[in-house]
Formats: sequence, C-alpha cells, structure tokens
Amino acid sequence: MDQNNSLPPYAQGLASPQGAMTPGIPIFSPMMPYGTGLTPQPIQNTNSLSILEEQQRQQQQQQQQQQQQQQQQQQQQQQQQAVATAAVQQSTSQQTTQGTSGQAPQLFHSQTLTTAPLPGTTPLYPSPMTPMTPITPATPASESSGIVPQLQNIVSTVNLGCKLDLKTIALRARNAEYNPKRFAAVIMRIREPRTTALIFSSGKMVCTGAKSEEQSRLAARKYARVVQKLGFPAKFLDFKIQNMVGSCDVKFPIRLEGLVLTHQQFSSYEPELFPGLIYRMIKPRIVLLIFVSGKVVLTGAKVRAEIYEAFENIYPILKGFRKTT
Amino acid sequence: MPGRGRCPDCGSTELVEDSHYSQSQLVCSDCGCVVTEGVLTTTFSDEGNLREVTYSRSTGENEQVSRSQQQGLRRVRDLCRVLQLPPTFEDTAVAYYQQAYRHSGIRAARLQKKEVLVGCCVLITCRQHNWPLTMGAICTLLYADLDVFSSIYMQIVKLLGLDVPSLCLAELVKTYCSSFKLFQASPSVPAKYVEDKEKMLSRTLQLVELANETWLVTGRHPLPVITAATFLAWQSLQPADRLSCSLARFCKLANVDLPYPASSRLQELLAVLLRMAEQLAWLRVLRLDKRSVVKHIGDLLQHRHSLVRLAFRDGTAEVETRGQEPPAWGQGQREGEVGNNSLGLPQGKRPASPALLLPPCMLKPPKRICPAPPVSTVTGDENISDSEIEQYLRTPQEVRDFQRAQAARQAATSVPNPP
Repeated sequence: MDQNNSLPPYAQGLASPQGAMTPGIPIFSPMMPYGTGLTPQPIQNTNSLSILEEQQRQQQQQQQQQQQQQQQQQQQQQQQQAVATAAVQQSTSQQTTQGTSGQAPQLFHSQTLTTAPLPGTTPLYPSPMTPMTPITPATPASESSGIVPQLQNIVSTVNLGCKLDLKTIALRARNAEYNPKRFAAVIMRIREPRTTALIFSSGKMVCTGAKSEEQSRLAARKYARVVQKLGFPAKFLDFKIQNMVGSCDVKFPIRLEGLVLTHQQFSSYEPELFPGLIYRMIKPRIVLLIFVSGKVVLTGAKVRAEIYEAFENIYPILKGFRKTT
Repeated sequence: MPGRGRCPDCGSTELVEDSHYSQSQLVCSDCGCVVTEGVLTTTFSDEGNLREVTYSRSTGENEQVSRSQQQGLRRVRDLCRVLQLPPTFEDTAVAYYQQAYRHSGIRAARLQKKEVLVGCCVLITCRQHNWPLTMGAICTLLYADLDVFSSIYMQIVKLLGLDVPSLCLAELVKTYCSSFKLFQASPSVPAKYVEDKEKMLSRTLQLVELANETWLVTGRHPLPVITAATFLAWQSLQPADRLSCSLARFCKLANVDLPYPASSRLQELLAVLLRMAEQLAWLRVLRLDKRSVVKHIGDLLQHRHSLVRLAFRDGTAEVETRGQEPPAWGQGQREGEVGNNSLGLPQGKRPASPALLLPPCMLKPPKRICPAPPVSTVTGDENISDSEIEQYLRTPQEVRDFQRAQAARQAATSVPNPP
C-alpha cells in the first residue's frame, strides 16, 4: 500500500524510521548509573525536579510529607505501567540538555535532606533515590515574584429556592434569551457588573463573567432581584463560588520542552494539539496553562489564595528555565 | 444455574456453563464433575486437521472478552500491521487497550470513542519507543477528527496515569524527509532537482536544530517547521537552479502536502539566517536579502553555534538588565524596550547589535493594549436600587407588542405557501 501519496500533510512519516528494527536503546535496563548499592528505587527517571517541587513544600508542613508518600505510590503505579519510558526519557533528555543542564547546578546545595525516608529503605546515603536527587534548593523565604495574578473570571452558583417559569421570564425581561431547543435555561445579562447568568427552571442559577468574588455576589443578587420583580418568590440561598480563573505574565520566554521533561508527572505538553503546557499542580489543586511567551493562566481555584499560592509555587520553577538559549 | 438439572455426583443445582478450549461443557461448580459435554466444534480449520490451536485463537479466551473489546483489539493489531510497526509494539498497544477497557467509563463509551481509543493506544506505544508517528497521521487513518482524538487522548493518558514522552523531532525529520520524492529523477522531477538523500537529511536536521534553538519550534506544530527546513536545505544545496522554485511547487514536486503554517515558518527561519549572516564580515558587505541568503546557508550552518551567540542576546535576561544595559555598543541603547527588534540593515562596518532571542510571539507588538483593571470597591452587599432593576424589565406595552410579533411569526411559518 502506497501510504505516502494520498495522505494530508500531517499524515506524513508513515515509513519506518531508519534503524528502527533494533532500537539500540536499552529499554528495559534499570539505569542506575551511580550504583549506590541499594535496591533500585521505584523512581528511576529524570523527574528529579518533580521531586524538587514536592520537597519545596516539605519545608512548610508535615502533612506535605505524607502527601509525598502518596505521590511515590502514584509514581510506583505509573512506573509499573510505563517502565520503558524511563530509559527512553533519559535518552531523549540527553538530546535536549539545554533545558535541564541549567537546572542541575542549583540543586546540589549543602542542606540537609528533609524528605522522610521511603518505607523500606534506610537512608544510609544522603540521596537514597535517584542520583540527581535534589536537595531542597536555597530559595530564601522572603523572595517572592512581585507579580500578582489578575482574576479574569469567577463562576458562582446560587439557589433561588423556587420553581421558575422560563417562558414568562423570557417574555417579560429585556435582557433574557431562551431557546429551549438549544439549551434548557434562560440566558440573562446585566451591564453592571458585566456578567451572564444561566437560570434554570429548577430555580438554580449560574453566574459567570465577574472579575472578583464581591462582584459575583452582587451580580447574583441583582439577577435574583430581577427574578423577584418578575413575580417569583426568589430567595438567595447557598451562594458558592465554583471556579476562579486568573492570569499573569512572567515576562520571559519559557522552554516548554524542558519543563515537560523535568516535571513529567504534572505536565502535559502536546504541541500538535495545543501550544501551551498544561501543568496540574497537586497542592493547591490548580491547573496552569503555561505558554512560551511567559503568560500563565491559572484555573480551578475556589478561593483567591489558591491562585496566588499556585503562582508562587510555579514561579521559581519557571525561573529555573530562564537562563537557557 | 437453577433449572438446568442436578449434578449426578453431589446433587447440587449449581451448574455452570464453561468451555474447555472450544468444547463447551456443563460443569458442577461444587464438585467439578462434568455433567455434559458439547460436540467438539471445528470452528478453526486447524483443529479439523488435528493441529494445535493456540489459546488466543480458541474460544476460551473470547468467553471473557466482550465482542466490542474483541473488535477493538483486532483493530489495534490491524493498525499496527498497517503502520508496519515492529511486533513488540502490537503487544504493548493491545495491553494498553485492555487496560483502558477495565475502566467503566471506557466500557460504556460510544463506538466512535472506542474507535479513536484504538489510535490512542497505538500512538502511545509509538511515542514510548520513539517512533515518530504524528497525531495527524493516526487521525487520517482512523477517519477521526483531531478534536475528538485530542479529548480522548488526554483522557486516556490521565486515566491510565501514563508517561508519554514528546514526539522525537530527529526521528520525525528522518522519516518525513525520506518521504519526499526527490531522490530519483522521474517525469515530474527534472534532473537538476534531484538531490542526495543523506546530504539533504543532514542539512535539514541542522536547520531544525537551529530553529529549535531560536524559539521557532516551541509551542508550534513540529511538521511545518520541518517542511520549511527541508525546502531551505534542498534549495541551498544547488541554489543556482533551485532558487526559482517556490515552496508550494517544491511540495508538489516531492509529492508531499504543504502544511499551511510552513510558509510563515520559512519566513521566520530566513529572518534568523539573515541575522546570523550579519555577523560574518564577508556576508555583511553583500547586503543579503531573503533570497540571496539561501546561497550561503551552508556556511552559516557550519558556524551556527557561534553565530547564534553573536547575533542574538539572551532575551530572557532582558528584563533584569534593562536598567543596567552596558554601553558597549552605541546602538544598544536604542533597543531598550523588550521586543524592539528592528530588521534595519547595519550601518556599514560595525555588525548590528544583537537582537533579542525571543519566540516570535514575544517579538510582535501586542495586538491590543490590556488596561489594568480598575480597582473595584464592590463589597457584594450593597443596596440594589429599584430603578436599576426596572431597566431590565419590559413594560406591559412592550410585552403585548412582543407577544403580537411572536404570534404573527408563528402564523407566517405555519402557512405552507405564503402568497
């Protein structure tokens, strides 16, 4: 079958790569170059900097040590499934050392290891894990990025506490649209604060578009007042902020390929699908979209502090990729 | 199973239908006695000729696997064979598919999703072995949408907790370049366009590495960059004859589809090469432009590492040194702003001061100025004036008008043949 003739541009490359029959990469070898004499630990990839991130948080609380142990278990499970990738990753990371080589010197500080030892190992050596185990880097407690993420969108929900007749609302309100064939809710908009609300017949309402928590609450109250004036016994129950989105700019370019190599467990970078890197931070549970231009979008927060905390966590990691060309 | 009879040995009613390879049997689950045996089925011609049947080809394995899963596994194997992958890939991909199938969300998914899942498993296997298979290729083979593929791919990677390495650029370059039909003369390819494969491959690789170093690859689809690099490599190997050929014509000759972003990648790559050429004294005097620089690509690539260092200064350090810009070059003072990258020609003898090494998106001026949002003093508990709410309500007259208009529209649409 002549594969290459009739396929669209992005479908090229179906012929076998040269020399692919014998890959030449030791896919299933354990790769313990330093040979500490201990049994190979589960984590045997170049994700040493992902462990770095976990250790940064260990400076703060004990509960984060427990979290790291949970993380190890997760990594163990992942390792069982993808043991081949470890060796493959090391070989590919050697090709793109630009991103990671700048990072290594920062790691070997003479600070005591603050990790709790993994169950079943005795910490005879200062680094019982991978050879490139990062010891907690010297980030001064007072150093902060000086950049504050701006909130761009708040999504909140409230229960109006009574059944609503959407047809009446759509008829008697100026700012409402209702197309039952497309969506089973009235879409209402107000000008100040500039927001949009989805009002359902059950009495539940979703309010989106506000730039701060207070504005979201005020907007939700205004929608409830409109519904009240239309003749329904609307109340204002269980107002809750469901999601907050923030964005900021670190003002320097970021090597996304390097970041995905060092923070594999958290990052997902598929340039064929999306130009940004999707970073899923564990604590706080925030998803960050990191772009090559240095712009960062943070989402998934329930409170403002989570966005600020997430940005303070990611900023030192991004700065680590700054000095590469 | 009740109602099926009793076991002659122990008298229990718990009889289970089980298969021993392809022979169906009724077995007592208490004592293990075989109550009845079915006829030995000659489903496979092998068995009819008294040859052994492997377990995977017998019905024994199929008993535990649902039909849609069987179909999916068959599709995975077929896809691996179509792509001519090594045999070990097939087993890995099948294992991933089975693993995915254990999750209830996948079992209950639509058929379209299961079909795309086949492609995802094969793609993950290829990525883990550094086999350069693009998502576009898989989507074409599966007749699937890239958006659908993308959502299922992200979901399955998260669900199975897999570590999927990035697409290996070097391998992709080798495979993609080899697919260009330029290495032999043919009726459509004149002799002067034919090129040696090894030379073209090595030069393309160097150009792609250069693009990677100068921020042209990060965040973008890899394939258009490789197309542009291949074109430049091909042109530069025999510029006298090939400068007249355009990118579109080149792709047509080589029987390769031209990806849309390739022309803009080509311009970006040429701009980088021009900047590098400014640093070489003997090229500076030639006052090169985007066409003439192609003739010197060989020289530029030979010294690319030092030229890039000379031609560009670290854009990432720009923020820090903006205030303390060393007055080493008089022209340096002019480029105080980040992103001020003028493509003006150098004045005579001195090389142009280094441009910022930044991704193209940071070099372009911002499309719209984002004003800082005004600090709002909203507390959320303010009084809401009635007048403000009244503006959002229709007056009774408006309601009547609206209802009349709606009724008229209904009447108009319900009449089949309006006069």
